[in-house]
Amino acid sequence: MSLLSLSLPLRARIGRRPMLAMGLAILGGFVALALLAPLIAPFDPILQDAGAKLLPPSWDHPFGTDNFGRDVFSRVLWGTRIDLQIAVLGVVFPFLIGTGVGTVAGFFGGWVDAVLMRVIDVVLAFPFLVLMLSIIAILGPGLASFYIAMALVGWVSYARLIRAQILVLKSQDFAVAAASLGFSRLRIMFRHLLPNALAGSLVFVMSDAVLVLLNGASISYLGLGVQPPVAEWGVMVAEAQGFISQAWWITLFPGLAIVTLAFGFSLTGDALADLMGVHE
Amino acid sequence: MTPLLDIANLSVVFRGENEERPLLDGITVGLGRGEILGLVGESGSGKSLLCRAVMGLLPSRRLHVTGGTVRLQGQDILNADMGAIRGRRIGMIFQNPTSHLDPVMTVGRQICEGLGQHRGLSGPAARAEAVDLLGQVGFPDPAAAFSSHAHRFSGGMRQRAMIAIALACEPEILIADEPTTALDVTIQAQILRLLMELRDRRGLSIILITHDLGVVAQTCDRIAVMRRGQLVEVGEKRALLAAPAHPYTRQLVASHPSLSHAGDPPRHDGDGAQPLFDVRGLEVAFPLGGGFLRPKRMLRALKGVSLSVRPGETVGIVGESGSGKSTLARTIMGLTRATGGDVVFAGRSLMSERAAAMKALRSDVAMVFQDPFNSLNPRMTVGQTLAEVLRNQGETPRDGIPARIGELLDMVGLERDLADRRPRSLSGGQCQRAGIARALAVNPSVIVADECVAALDVTIQAQIVALFRELAERQGLTLLFIAHDLAIVRNLCERVVVMHHGEIIEDGPSTEVFARPTRAYTAALIAAIPDIDPDRPLGRGETNDNREELAT
Repeated sequence: MSLLSLSLPLRARIGRRPMLAMGLAILGGFVALALLAPLIAPFDPILQDAGAKLLPPSWDHPFGTDNFGRDVFSRVLWGTRIDLQIAVLGVVFPFLIGTGVGTVAGFFGGWVDAVLMRVIDVVLAFPFLVLMLSIIAILGPGLASFYIAMALVGWVSYARLIRAQILVLKSQDFAVAAASLGFSRLRIMFRHLLPNALAGSLVFVMSDAVLVLLNGASISYLGLGVQPPVAEWGVMVAEAQGFISQAWWITLFPGLAIVTLAFGFSLTGDALADLMGVHE
Repeated sequence: MTPLLDIANLSVVFRGENEERPLLDGITVGLGRGEILGLVGESGSGKSLLCRAVMGLLPSRRLHVTGGTVRLQGQDILNADMGAIRGRRIGMIFQNPTSHLDPVMTVGRQICEGLGQHRGLSGPAARAEAVDLLGQVGFPDPAAAFSSHAHRFSGGMRQRAMIAIALACEPEILIADEPTTALDVTIQAQILRLLMELRDRRGLSIILITHDLGVVAQTCDRIAVMRRGQLVEVGEKRALLAAPAHPYTRQLVASHPSLSHAGDPPRHDGDGAQPLFDVRGLEVAFPLGGGFLRPKRMLRALKGVSLSVRPGETVGIVGESGSGKSTLARTIMGLTRATGGDVVFAGRSLMSERAAAMKALRSDVAMVFQDPFNSLNPRMTVGQTLAEVLRNQGETPRDGIPARIGELLDMVGLERDLADRRPRSLSGGQCQRAGIARALAVNPSVIVADECVAALDVTIQAQIVALFRELAERQGLTLLFIAHDLAIVRNLCERVVVMHHGEIIEDGPSTEVFARPTRAYTAALIAAIPDIDPDRPLGRGETNDNREELAT
């Protein structure tokens, strides 16, 4: 709702902000590639060709082929679908949970806040990846486990961010005014406080997407996320690591894709921070 | 005699991406030696900007001086090296001493800094000079103040410290930008006296920026009135106040609360009626500090307050900051829990029948807040804000809401098409009117207004007060008007309640209390109001408390 209400001035300002325009162009480009993958990709991403193993980049195979003779270009294209999904879903669930918990903790304060904050401390006490890995180990490898683990671990940063904002906002006059007018707590929390607290988190979503993307790649690299032969950038890098001295292209191109997408997210995030900073 | 500081035809523009706006338009004014010049105007009139331009401290890179000269003793300083002039020859003090003092450096060291930089003093010599300065600005124990940090002092003492820092460099000119706006009236009177003494003793020239004509009338020799980047009138204080030539100056003089006897406070005839609010021995205490396994200390904000308000009364609650007047308002609204005593609203006790009392409060009492921008949800338009209240209250049928919003906006004197605007794009006065419209949307019988004009310019203040007066007269509203500004209360309220340290020390009809205060504190408070008549001198601003403060 907050994004919607901002959308008009946003659109007007994008043109004047090269950073934002570039970030959005990169993200848009990847979305287009993901949608059009079946049309653009010259080969089936999982089709193996024993006669075309480890071919260097050429006109037929612009990014070369891997050790099973699969076309790296097609695999990178198809991988866009999975990796975008990871970046989006890996952020959305933590964002929703964290926002809810943070709002409740900040608004009610007292023992509710104390309990929720201690839960957050417990989550934060474990190294992020270790906790992720143990949750995935319990649930069994796969993307679904990855999303669940992300949701269980990643919400804490959003909760802390939102709680801090709500704490500041709830003592402001407009919140007191809402209380003095007899509005319900739910209404004050979600209609009055939350929309004003969201700006910071929306910016954080962008930089968090980068981290989630890299996490997803790491988890897949460890063999706990996306399972072969599905094309995912992290898996591709992992699979090809043994061939890095003979066939650099198998790791380079998916690696570049990860970096470029991450760059797109962080550019957009920085520009948004700028924009909202001016706005606040 | 050539003036010490001579500003001629000074113009400053704002250059945006595709616009150019004049902010100062050909300002010409001079400041003589040992003179106090009052620079008066409303927010946005360019009075602070003028002084910043003189100091070479324009607040943004988009601002450019496009013409004119500034001469200090005949020497052009606009293009000179300001390092030798800023601080050394022209000193400056600001509205908010807290944010302009370094919190981790002792007051003494901050003074020594200036002494070292501009006068080459160091070590014991600087220390001796600094202690002497602290004594001059009225610190009772200068040596102790020298080694204290700013947070140890009250607002008034901090402002004194700022003045001492500015004086350290022995400037010829002191620019004081709203130096007393953030202070209580009695403290304000002390600081103004100090400035006048310094002028007499050191031959200091002062430019005093303020929005309060009363302050300039009491302290200044000449007055310069600014509006929208232009100097509309300059003249000797008495002449200008007695016969203002420009219509804007006339409006400013007329808006000043100490003069505008636009009529007596509205009367009511509900003397025999059942009290609407009955506050009995109300006590509120807040935990202070303390924490895990440490005993909490309690701050007693209200110490047994009793007050009863009858329907249709307009009651002004006055007191200085920390007197507990806002706490009283919040507690009778049920927003803060009482720790003792009781509030009975319309026959229902907030202690024993909380749910019922709250229900009655919410449908009958509305609040108006101090900061007009902060009291409206920044992400909602005025129309959405009002619609939400109307829907929540449920008395207006759904399809009648747009019409009712129009009515409410008419009632508070806002254009109907402002309903689609967000608070950020409104002026302070418009926001406050929207806030009042929101309060009226509840269709209340009581309005509790907490310092609701304190953040507004004087002419807007006068309009809002007039609006309240009209609402109270026409709709028979009961009004609890909380303010630190006694002059406004005297004009608006028929009854005044004076609070001090969490207690009510005086309660009676306004005319009575202002004419014959029974308590010394009330008398000191009234005497400290800067009157717009220069011949009614300022009180000393000393209450028993201040003396205590000065002594510690």
